[in-house]
Amino acid sequence: MKKETMVKINDVSMRFNLGIEKEFSLKQWFVDIFKPRKSKKVKPEFWALKNLNLDIKKGEVVGFVGSNGAGKSTLLKIVAGVMKPTVGSVDVYGNICPMIELGAGFDPQLTARENIYLNGAVLGYSKELIEDKFNEIVEFSELKDFLEVPVQNFSSGMVARLAFSIATIVNPEILIVDEILSVGDIGFQAKSLNKMRSMISGGTTVLYVSHSLTSIEELCQKAIWLDKGEVVDYGEVKTVCSKYAKYVKDNHIKI
Amino acid sequence: MIQKILYNFKKYKFLLQQLVSRDFKVKYKRSVLGILWSLLNPILMMAVLAIVFTNIFKFSMPGVNYLVYLISGLVLFNYFSEASNLAMSSIVGNFTLINKVYIPKYIFPLSKCLFVGINFLLTLIPLYIVIIVTGTDLNIYHFLLPYAYICLFMFTLGMGLILATISVFLRDMFYIYGIIVMMWTYLTPIMYDISMIPAQFQTIFKLNPLYQFINFARSIILYGQMPTLGQWAGCGVSAVVVLIFGIYIFRKKQDKFIYYV
Repeated sequence: MKKETMVKINDVSMRFNLGIEKEFSLKQWFVDIFKPRKSKKVKPEFWALKNLNLDIKKGEVVGFVGSNGAGKSTLLKIVAGVMKPTVGSVDVYGNICPMIELGAGFDPQLTARENIYLNGAVLGYSKELIEDKFNEIVEFSELKDFLEVPVQNFSSGMVARLAFSIATIVNPEILIVDEILSVGDIGFQAKSLNKMRSMISGGTTVLYVSHSLTSIEELCQKAIWLDKGEVVDYGEVKTVCSKYAKYVKDNHIKI
Repeated sequence: MIQKILYNFKKYKFLLQQLVSRDFKVKYKRSVLGILWSLLNPILMMAVLAIVFTNIFKFSMPGVNYLVYLISGLVLFNYFSEASNLAMSSIVGNFTLINKVYIPKYIFPLSKCLFVGINFLLTLIPLYIVIIVTGTDLNIYHFLLPYAYICLFMFTLGMGLILATISVFLRDMFYIYGIIVMMWTYLTPIMYDISMIPAQFQTIFKLNPLYQFINFARSIILYGQMPTLGQWAGCGVSAVVVLIFGIYIFRKKQDKFIYYV
């Protein structure tokens, strides 16, 4: 059986201008005036992704590994539609639930109850859906006693629990997860891992970024190793992870 | 195209509601009187103005009640200055969201214009109290006033979109705009009448869209007259042109916001 494509990444490149901060400042303008004209500064550029091609099929769980700044999060943001790639395009077939940074939509001054509605709306849920699932969200987050407390008084673990519960209440076709399973206490970590597993077994396609190779090997079937914006290796999770682990060991741990 | 806009609007209507109600909740958190302040604030402001201008300065306007004259202009202008200011900072202020989740970005300036719009509607209550207390005649044309309010809203939203776009790339705009609004306050005939301006400048003053909206409202509230065709057109044209220009600029630049905020 040929599986249908859920996410198709066509020759995507992403450029950042590192000098963007300075471009408009008056100080820089004055400095430039007194500079000889020929030494026009070259804008420092940084390619976070270079000519990336990927084809992720329905139901696949793909893990992304690589060092900091390899382009993992940038890629996920492009798939989520937060950023537009400089070159190339991304086709997404199905609804996406981005869990890139949990609780980004919270207003710290509002109570947990109010934030469930606000954050749900941010994620594109309808009013009926949130009202329907309200108890489920509260129950999963185990924050029943704190519903009327402003979120600014929550501990970071509590915020993450609430956010995870809101984000996973729907069954999205594509789930984007960036380094979030390390939230909450051990009990909640196990619970959220279970929730992820049940979503995966329900046929959700998952793009998963983590620095924990164990959790990637545990959850994913395939893995992609990114380095400096390019795919180093793509394939079966065990092979890629062991290659990556070996690379890290050889290159970084030199005593 | 239109279908897509409608679909998006339906999808994000609830978010818009939530953002507006968030603004109210945050604004009145821990205040004893809460939302009553939206009503009380303009009432108290108008009371102060009444005392200052009719008892201390003894301003007057031939044929009309000066207090009604002043307040009818001020209510419209205050809507513009507050809403455009909030809309300007709405993109920069909601950066954490824009950077993490996909949401149509116009929703932030729009929600601010609506939020201040609700407050504006509440300030109409004290305005009408003043109208009645001062014995200014009410007339059938009052039902035409929503036209001026809708034009004002469209104009403000357009300005908000333009300002929000500029301020993403140029943070200095926050400070520059403070000065611009101050100048705008004095260049708009709110406290004085346009007939007090030297004749050669009057045409320039009339090009000010805010004058158009205020003038439209005043000819109904103060003079009980049906606005002329020129007044109708002046409001409509300035609102539509600025709104379209705002949407154009915002759409053109919105994909770049993320690199600058």
